Amino acid sequence: MIRDITLGQYYNVESLIHRLDPRVKMAWTFMYIIGLFIINDFIGFVFAGICLALVIYMSKVPVKFMVRGLKPIFFIIVITFILNMLMIGGEVLVKWWIFSITKEGLKQASIMAIRLIMLIIGSSILTLTTKPINLTDGIEKALSPFKRFGFPAHEIAMMTTIALRFIPTLLEETDKIMKAQQARGADFESGNILRRAKQLIPILVPLFIGAFRIANDMAMAMEARCYRGGDHRTKMHSMQYEKRDFVAYGLIVVFLAAIILLRIYF
Amino acid sequence: MSIKVENLCHVYRKGLPEESKALDEVSFDVSDNQILGVIGHTGSGKSTLLQHLNGLLKADSGEISIDGMRLYAPEVSMLDIRKKVGLVFQYPEYQLFEETVAKDIAFGPKNLGLTEEEIDSRVREAMSLVNLDYDTFSEKSPFDLSGGQKRRVAIAGVLAMKPKILILDEPTAGLDPKTHKDILNMVVDIHRKEKNITVFVSHNMNDIANISDNIIVMDKGKCVLQGKPEEVFSHSDFIKSIGLDLPDVTQLMKDLGIEREDGKAIFSLDEAENMIFNMIGGSK
Repeated sequence: MIRDITLGQYYNVESLIHRLDPRVKMAWTFMYIIGLFIINDFIGFVFAGICLALVIYMSKVPVKFMVRGLKPIFFIIVITFILNMLMIGGEVLVKWWIFSITKEGLKQASIMAIRLIMLIIGSSILTLTTKPINLTDGIEKALSPFKRFGFPAHEIAMMTTIALRFIPTLLEETDKIMKAQQARGADFESGNILRRAKQLIPILVPLFIGAFRIANDMAMAMEARCYRGGDHRTKMHSMQYEKRDFVAYGLIVVFLAAIILLRIYF
Repeated sequence: MSIKVENLCHVYRKGLPEESKALDEVSFDVSDNQILGVIGHTGSGKSTLLQHLNGLLKADSGEISIDGMRLYAPEVSMLDIRKKVGLVFQYPEYQLFEETVAKDIAFGPKNLGLTEEEIDSRVREAMSLVNLDYDTFSEKSPFDLSGGQKRRVAIAGVLAMKPKILILDEPTAGLDPKTHKDILNMVVDIHRKEKNITVFVSHNMNDIANISDNIIVMDKGKCVLQGKPEEVFSHSDFIKSIGLDLPDVTQLMKDLGIEREDGKAIFSLDEAENMIFNMIGGSK
């Protein structure tokens, strides 16, 4: 049922990648994505692919978990491939009616598809190897320099944490409400789109009311424990860079430099 | 009308390392016009069992027959089952969603595809069964009612489907003592008027002992004990060993060392009173 859906797909295993500071991993992901867009030839993808494979190997996360993230966007990849293949002019390979496949188009389409696939797999490493709580901590720390301009870094991190924390709770609630309405004869599986949309009302109304109730209780409980926002709050585990984190930062520079050089010289 | 459950098994997260047996070879019978009490500590499989009885969950193996109708037979539709078996969940007031009380109660009958007049008469009937005045409450928003009234509305929503079997999962949870008593009396009342089978889950041993004709005791997905209340609660050590408790009166009589000749448990206040008076040689 609905409870089987897993979100926040952290894969719990001990590895070097898991131990890295979340800020480093975020910087890596960000730079890796920029790198993917700098690359415009297959040789660059081979290099990036080798780096990616190395990181996946070090993270000890089974490859099938990485590939699982591709399933929902498989269609987008296929459509991008087809559109790119047909839209770009050049040396014609195949021609049929008004469609023509060109050499340049085929190349561009392949590059686009590879880029998308590597983008999804690469960024899924971040969420697979970092606990949501550490991720939001990392976001808070990374954004904290902007606090002096009035940027609510702590509040954003706290909201994200709470939102993630309540996903399973709300899923459970939805499951319960669905079952209760099914017990009253509601049918969510059949009928046309309009009928199905209507059948959502008996789920959504109690769900929203429930969400507000939960949010209210949560606010009360935080208030009762003297929560007053981010000022002067200290952390139980304060994030501290270690040697491996600096090495990883250094490797980002090497990675980007290599990609730029490949682009210039090949 | 009868319920027959045979060797029911249900496994959660089958095939995964955290696989757990929620129901393990559960068998029992309920015959016509009975109240069946179900007890067991949290996580013993009670709620899972109830959800099987109206087809919300499907067993991995085993068989359920309701009035001779086999639930897992291919020709039986979910709507057929839900017409016969009404399930009131824990905290049922959280499923209310309509603008008015009457509309909310009409949700079930509407799903059954009844005519407008039939729906209207069923709403009125259900509201009178739960002691809510039609003229006062039918046009109110369910969200403006008190906790006890909301729960009555939610129970009426299931009663309006006229189930032959009414299942209630802790209908008195989280209510104040007076409302608790009212709802409990209401359940017994409805049972008498409708002559249905009532399946009743509660953590309150006093309630269970006083209203049930039969009790089944669940522990770790197994049905470990079943029988009449006086038999079930005579196994006091076993009941306690699985995290349950005795009804107050039973415990008192046990502490006082007063026993019935046949060794069965005493749980009615009147019976206990008489026995105590007999012993000390007085009367009311």
